[in-house]
Amino acid sequence: MSKQSTFTKNKRSHKFLSRFHIESRILLLLGAFVFIAAFFSIIEKHFLTPRSISSMAFQCPEIGLMALGMAITIIIGGINLSVNDTANLSALMAGLFLVKLVPFTADYMSPFIIIGIAILIALVTGLLCGVLNGVLVVYIGVPPILATLATLTLYRGISVVVTGGKTLTGFPEQLSAIGHQTAVGIPISFIILVAMGVLMYMIFKHTTFGFKARMLGTNPTAAKFSGINTKSITMKIYILSSILCAIAGIIVMSRNNSVAYEYGTQTYILLTLLISVLGGISPGFGNLIGVLFATFIMQVLSTGFHMLLLGVRGSSFFKDFSWGVLLIVFLIIDYFMQHKKRTV
Amino acid sequence: MKKLVNSREFVLFLILVLVSVAISIKSPSFFSASTLFDIIRSSLVYCIMAFGVLMVLISGNVDISFVAIAAMTSYSTHMLLLKLAYTGGITLYFVIAISMGLLAGLLMGFIVIQFNLPIFYVSIGYWTLVYGFNLFFIGATMNFDLPEGMVGYYARFLVKVRNPVVGETGLHISVIYLVVIAVFIWWLLKYTIFGRGLYAIGGNREVAIRTGYNVKGITYTMLALVGILAAIAGVIQSGYSRFFNPVLFMGKELDVIAAVVIGGASITGGRGTVLGSVLGVMLIEVLNRGLIFAGIPAEWQKLVVGLVLIIFISIPAIAEQRAKRSRYVVVPKEDKEE
Amino acid sequence: MILKDRTVEELLSVKNVSKHFAGVIALDDVSFTINRGEIRCIVGENGSGKSTMIKIIAGIYPPDEGDIYINGHYYKRLTPIASIHEGIQVIYQDFSLFPNLTVAENIGINQLISSGKKIINWKEIYKTAKEGLSKVNADIPLDATMEKLSTADRQIIAIAKVLLEDVKLIIMDEPTTALTQREIQYLFKTIKDLKEQGISILFVSHKLNEVKEISDRTLIFRNGKKVLDRETKSLDIKTMEYYMTGREIDTSLIAYSKVEKGPPLLKVENLTLSHGFSDVSFELRPKEVLGITGLLGSGRTELAFSLFGEMPADSGKIYIEGKEVFIIRIQDAIRHGIGYVPEDRIGEGLFLEQPIADNIVVRLIDRLASKIGLVKDRAKQEVVEEWIKKLDIKTPSSENPAGSLSGGNQQRLVLSKWLASNLKILILNGPTVGVDVGSKVAIHSLIRDLAKQGMGIILISDDIPELMWTCNRILLMRKGRIVEEFQREQTNKEELYEHLVANNKHSSTINRVKINSKCKDSRRMR
Repeated sequence: MSKQSTFTKNKRSHKFLSRFHIESRILLLLGAFVFIAAFFSIIEKHFLTPRSISSMAFQCPEIGLMALGMAITIIIGGINLSVNDTANLSALMAGLFLVKLVPFTADYMSPFIIIGIAILIALVTGLLCGVLNGVLVVYIGVPPILATLATLTLYRGISVVVTGGKTLTGFPEQLSAIGHQTAVGIPISFIILVAMGVLMYMIFKHTTFGFKARMLGTNPTAAKFSGINTKSITMKIYILSSILCAIAGIIVMSRNNSVAYEYGTQTYILLTLLISVLGGISPGFGNLIGVLFATFIMQVLSTGFHMLLLGVRGSSFFKDFSWGVLLIVFLIIDYFMQHKKRTV
Repeated sequence: MKKLVNSREFVLFLILVLVSVAISIKSPSFFSASTLFDIIRSSLVYCIMAFGVLMVLISGNVDISFVAIAAMTSYSTHMLLLKLAYTGGITLYFVIAISMGLLAGLLMGFIVIQFNLPIFYVSIGYWTLVYGFNLFFIGATMNFDLPEGMVGYYARFLVKVRNPVVGETGLHISVIYLVVIAVFIWWLLKYTIFGRGLYAIGGNREVAIRTGYNVKGITYTMLALVGILAAIAGVIQSGYSRFFNPVLFMGKELDVIAAVVIGGASITGGRGTVLGSVLGVMLIEVLNRGLIFAGIPAEWQKLVVGLVLIIFISIPAIAEQRAKRSRYVVVPKEDKEE
Repeated sequence: MILKDRTVEELLSVKNVSKHFAGVIALDDVSFTINRGEIRCIVGENGSGKSTMIKIIAGIYPPDEGDIYINGHYYKRLTPIASIHEGIQVIYQDFSLFPNLTVAENIGINQLISSGKKIINWKEIYKTAKEGLSKVNADIPLDATMEKLSTADRQIIAIAKVLLEDVKLIIMDEPTTALTQREIQYLFKTIKDLKEQGISILFVSHKLNEVKEISDRTLIFRNGKKVLDRETKSLDIKTMEYYMTGREIDTSLIAYSKVEKGPPLLKVENLTLSHGFSDVSFELRPKEVLGITGLLGSGRTELAFSLFGEMPADSGKIYIEGKEVFIIRIQDAIRHGIGYVPEDRIGEGLFLEQPIADNIVVRLIDRLASKIGLVKDRAKQEVVEEWIKKLDIKTPSSENPAGSLSGGNQQRLVLSKWLASNLKILILNGPTVGVDVGSKVAIHSLIRDLAKQGMGIILISDDIPELMWTCNRILLMRKGRIVEEFQREQTNKEELYEHLVANNKHSSTINRVKINSKCKDSRRMR
């Protein structure tokens, strides 16, 4: 049995690291993060200033949350291409409420309640988007990549119709608190990101739901025969994914004080996939803290290159280039690190 | 004959005709030669790229980087020729862009084969990489300085038509390219070892290797063709619009994939035809155009396309589920007769 | 080229071949020959070395020691291409066919690839395909897509494909696994026709009754050694079994579970599933091991799926401990204490990439968690360790992936998943298929022990010795109905075999003509 020899090779490093309860991927990401951050802070003296760090911390939550939404669907062996359009649609629904209805009620209700309702609307929209995704995948049996491709078009379509193609603006200023305020010096949105990341991590590592989800991602047939309610779990994951995107949408809305159907569309889906792959997510496996670190790496790269190349024409695009290179490099590293292929 | 009627392509064609008729009833001006020519022209570049997508889907993979290659090759070629103060026609554009597309495809092939990586994820990285490269190293602004020889390209018509509403329009000569390329790809898929190899790999990759198909060579050829087709589409589109766009087609990759899937290609591989892809692209184009004619505001386009997509992917999925349930029990035919 | 001193009859000669993998000896000094036009069978349990031997003959692995002579040519290092050139063709379990392509393309493509041409001439492909089909006398539409055809049809096409090459030896790996009795007979007729044409067949199997029926000479492997090499007609099944397992199982020494008298654990009344089984009724008592056997198509697997909720029955009643229950989904079955161990334990029973520990607790995980769903790690670890010890699963760490275990250990792992939960009834489907001898005995012992602890066990198997070693009662199914019931103490292996394969001696209504490559008219296969 040649399989034996492959495993004795990995066994030793496996045992060593598991003693520290740290997976090798997380270490690698942490190392990359520190290296990149150090690199930029040496080269660019403004990089590690409180202002710059704060700016980075404000920018990354929206993509990070969407990446979490993407990652959890990958873990069960699916994918959610509708992450960005779900976020936009959810934000738009909330935005519409704020813009259309608020002027009439401003005198009667406190702004916090109004914002609370708006947030609720966004979350419910997210939930409904997730339900549609789930129904297509679970009950109709459409492959997730196709199903979410169709739904992203639908959600974008609804967004366009609902806004007439225009950007929504003019929200109550209390709303921007989410996107702009800090607590203990840390941006609230960043806290939300980390909290969600940790929550997802806990769910997948320590709860029965997460356990079953991981098994489902590894082998759907065996999961079914083991009594795991695969339909219910898949449904819940797609709903959870879309809700995370809705939260991202709220943060975008709050930060920019505006929502548009085309926000982030082109690059965001791919970024979330990039972050997921970088974070080591694959069917049945993946530490969601890795997604957080991958998000930070992306952010640091983006800001770092932006600063570095300030004044250089098209500097903001260098980060796109670097993201692509980074993804391919990490895929290659994966290849060398694993003797067994992830997908059979 | 029964086979023809039952085929996916025929159904698609029927739907296309029905939709067109429905729109024409609502708005008779839809039913005109100029509309037809316009639709053909706007579908053209997507059809060309769709053939590349088709090949990848048949082999059981998904690739999104083709849009980036289209943008990069056309834009880079243009910037290069501008620097050289080129004043000629479009032919040189094709030559240079195609060479770049070929190289881009081969490079991706190298990465995929050498490190045994899944094409989908590599194409994501490649998409960002190539667009980023284009924007950063070549240029980030749209460029309207066309060389003299190219200025009239957008109006080079095979057949001219005068339409009271839109003015002079016609069947653009690039339709010749489309026909030639379509026939070539059709021929490749049906009559060459490369084409059959794509179907084989999509059917069962292991068996394909065992049978002796040169999977590596086929993958390289496939990705090279994707690059070449993307380059051609990029140049043609730039010729139409009379400017070169560094982020050309960005965001359209999923639309093209959707069209090819509607056309009958399976996301799991092993299936798909040239005709189906063309019909899929045209159906989406007709929907996009026709809705305006039918009085539905432009904003509704995406929504309608989204709904159409959902219906189109649901039907085969439900059919598959029903088939699976009856296929489940292995009942030997003769034993039942006894 | 060294010409051995041999008769013209000899096609293949294997001499003193040995092979090991990472310290494990797969083949130990094996020698045998295959003559032209001979049907040879290699029999052996998994782990006996028969698969390795096949792969060496096909050139896939080189032997560590020993020589191979094919057609008089000497080979120290045989490659797949050389093997093919010598006329050796292997028919794999998936038949090497493309599901999405047509019959014509599947048959004809080999020739095209080996010719090196880049352009396809479809006329030639159709011609080649027709030729191939005529060689096996099958009338299958050339335009049919592979995936729409039955397994038997696909197998015939695989053979047709092979016959188009200049084949001298066809190696088939467990070819009757997915065939019905009638189809098996048709396959055997085909094989006999091939033999008359001078083509040799090497047939790997573990089904002794089939081996006895079709082969000229039988080879039995055990633990990497060749233990028997004789003319089949001089062998009987009992002897073959003895050599295969290395022991005579004296059934009087086995401590069977004693069935408890009293109300039945499970009672099934007139259970019917269209296209599956009809009017099935039986009872299962506590501490009873009930065997259900039958050939493919008998409905035994469908019955198991029905009881487990995977394919709920259309009509009929199920009672568990006297109470009527409705099993519509798998969760219902599990809730009522029914477990199922699938035949394809890798595909359907294990999460190979996940840790062994997780595989063990997957059914239990709800019980090992607090109310809000947080998994109690310590409790989990305890259960894991308990079961690793109980089932004697050999592994350096419970965090290692399940895929790192050997076959027998994997099977025990699948069992542990169910045993670790409180089951009343356990359904086992072919639990020792592909398991080495030592583990087989251990698993049988485990099954009997489980029954003794109070469980009711339904054992679905077509391995007659296995049924005799574990069951108290055996039900025989045929075409969806239960046709006979045997008490183990009152029957024996031979009687069971007879009843199992009864009805196959009726000659098929197909009137077949000898296989002839020049044969122009093709008859209908059905």
